[in-house]
Amino acid sequence: MGLPDASGDLSSEVEVDAFRRLFPLRFCERHLSESIRPDGRPLGRARDTTIALGAVASADGSALAKIGSTTMLAAIKMEVMTPSMESPDEGCLAIDFHMPPICSPIVRPGRPAEASPVVSKQLSDTISSSGMVDLKELSLVSGKAAWMAYLDIYCLDADRALFDAALLSAVAALSHLQFPTVSLNEDGRVVVVVSEEDGGKLEKEPVNREKRKLTLKSIPFSLTCILHKNYILADPTAEEESIMETLVTVVLDSSSQLISLYKPGGPVLANTSVIQDSIALTRQRVRELQKILDEANSGMEVD
Amino acid sequence: MAGKPGTNPTTYSPSMATGKTRPRIFKDHDVDWVRPDGRGFHQCRPAFFRTGAVNSASGSAYAEFGNTKVIVSVFGPRESKKAMMYSDIGRLNCNVSYTTFATPVRGQGSDYKEFSSMLHKALEGAIILETFPKTTVDVFALVLESGGSDLHVVISCASLALADAGILMYDLVASVSLSCLGKNLVIDPVLEEESYQDGSLTITCMPSRYEVTQLSITGEWSTPKINEGMQLCLDACSKLAMIMRSCLKEATSTSQE
Repeated sequence: MGLPDASGDLSSEVEVDAFRRLFPLRFCERHLSESIRPDGRPLGRARDTTIALGAVASADGSALAKIGSTTMLAAIKMEVMTPSMESPDEGCLAIDFHMPPICSPIVRPGRPAEASPVVSKQLSDTISSSGMVDLKELSLVSGKAAWMAYLDIYCLDADRALFDAALLSAVAALSHLQFPTVSLNEDGRVVVVVSEEDGGKLEKEPVNREKRKLTLKSIPFSLTCILHKNYILADPTAEEESIMETLVTVVLDSSSQLISLYKPGGPVLANTSVIQDSIALTRQRVRELQKILDEANSGMEVD
Repeated sequence: MAGKPGTNPTTYSPSMATGKTRPRIFKDHDVDWVRPDGRGFHQCRPAFFRTGAVNSASGSAYAEFGNTKVIVSVFGPRESKKAMMYSDIGRLNCNVSYTTFATPVRGQGSDYKEFSSMLHKALEGAIILETFPKTTVDVFALVLESGGSDLHVVISCASLALADAGILMYDLVASVSLSCLGKNLVIDPVLEEESYQDGSLTITCMPSRYEVTQLSITGEWSTPKINEGMQLCLDACSKLAMIMRSCLKEATSTSQE
């Protein structure tokens, strides 16, 4: 393998693996000049992505999403709350992102990772501003009872693209969510109706017989890219992100409307054409992800 | 209890309808009843193990026993915390935590200090700590879903993750628990059986050396019952260790191909 002149005599003698560790940036740039990434991907392609629905039996909706080796497990638990005075017929969705110590060597027990509150905030902002979930659908009895949906996302393996994978698992879990059938008892508390078959014998009619699933209006999908010199690298791995620092995250919904664009600083300044290019990459990615999510959902219906 | 503006409204998990509490799974003097998942009294749940679940860890394993699902990651041996005193032998640091959705009622996802120390004590006898002086091996476990007998699944899974990380051990550590329900001993209890149990017995052992690293007994036991229970657990442990061993062999043979 011919090495660039800039790396000099030393690097022509060292083995590929040692070169990769000693001169990570030069190693990467050498690949980029050939329009390929160190892991063999073209610049604009994201890693293999899979979604598995219903991974957690004790939750009302759950999904496991994998982008490359980044793994996210999202699960929703439904609880009942009294809606606030201002919005008596709205429920609530609480989103939390966790990075347990198992996911990365950097995270230690008792000390939460810096990234987790950031991703947490980004997720709830994105999901609330996309208008994907109509909070009115979470209402049970106006002014008296509504659903509080706790959506918890756990990172099981962190190989970057945390936000992309977390958002994907969150929307997949929301698409898998099924409300438990409930009714009101004499004290005004909400109780679970034990099973569908007993329906005839029940003295109380379930309050949500028809409403079993959320109607998701527009689903947000995201893609994070690295900007380096004049290259745009989609879906970076931890190795790439550790040497090239400028990130841009684009969130589009299923009809390619822009929901959010996030570029937290970095040494590379983005111009209009770069932003347009990364939005174009995201548009492609959204179609891919939409297809993967549809396949996961249709797979569930067959079972 | 109207929700005040600006404060988080209190929530509760919708419970089963009152007056419809589920019947006990067995009656007091009944010897012949069926377990919730239809197993025999002395039959364990099917065990599934897989190593290499987390790429960023030195070693990791995923274990699934019925509805109990855990992931254990091992990091290190790596530099001990600065505050630690000098030590000739290696240190073992264990932590067990639960996801908020692991339990039937939503939890806080907090650490389980008691389980962490039990895991530490179960493993430290099996690891050859002299092989990594001055450094620490971290064993972190996350219970994704709790379906009963969580700790013993965590312990078995952790020993597999340690083996995957290449930490030297005297033997794999297998752990099995047993509940005493009325007159019966049921092995590998599920959550529902655990809540009704009169006593429990957990054995953690190194099956090929026939050595026990941890034995815990709660509740009231007669000597013959203890003997019977221990024998059942030890037999189950050696079978479990065979499954774990075959999982490790499979992992190495696929990585060589």
